[in-house]
Amino acid sequence: MLSKKIIVVSFGLVFLLASTVPAVMAEQYDIKTMTPEVHKALQNRHARYAEIQQRKESGLIGENNQGLLQALKDPSATAGLIGAENADRQLIYNEIVQQNNLSPSNLPQVQAVFAEVQREKAKTGEAIQLPSGEWTKK
Amino acid sequence: MKTIKKWIIPLMLMPLLSSCTIKAVGDPNRPITINANVVVDIRGLKQTATHIEDMVEKGGAPNA
Repeated sequence: MLSKKIIVVSFGLVFLLASTVPAVMAEQYDIKTMTPEVHKALQNRHARYAEIQQRKESGLIGENNQGLLQALKDPSATAGLIGAENADRQLIYNEIVQQNNLSPSNLPQVQAVFAEVQREKAKTGEAIQLPSGEWTKK
Repeated sequence: MKTIKKWIIPLMLMPLLSSCTIKAVGDPNRPITINANVVVDIRGLKQTATHIEDMVEKGGAPNA
């Protein structure tokens, strides 16, 4: 009788796990295929990283809440840098959405997560935009 | 036997509660659009975002 109970309970547990585990497992979103375009975008971003940091420290640019750079002073002086950097960032964000079979409507969520990471990585004194839209200095 | 009977209904209900199959019946020339609400798991995405931004900072993008 006891062994019957054990069999039934075990069967129930296996069934329960099989039916619920995939739903609660954390999804892993990643760049699954390193396309030449993504590789180039990452290389470009690394190459301009020091210049961007310099502009951030001088208060010319900041990280907005959409995971993009934004001019804060003298926009004409940084337009080229910001344009190129944001184009590469957008390419990476779009690629994450596409390669992970997300809907285009998820793009703002992806950008918001990258913005959060940028806020965390920002150094003291750099301008960051909070999720509320308010700009502040870290 | 009673124990098996007691478990059979919850066991049969489990797949029904955990997953659903939608069967569309209608005009094949008028496709039905179901707007799936995909919820992005922030934890998984944040890990990826951090990894990418670390790569940008330190270099070392994997080869294409």
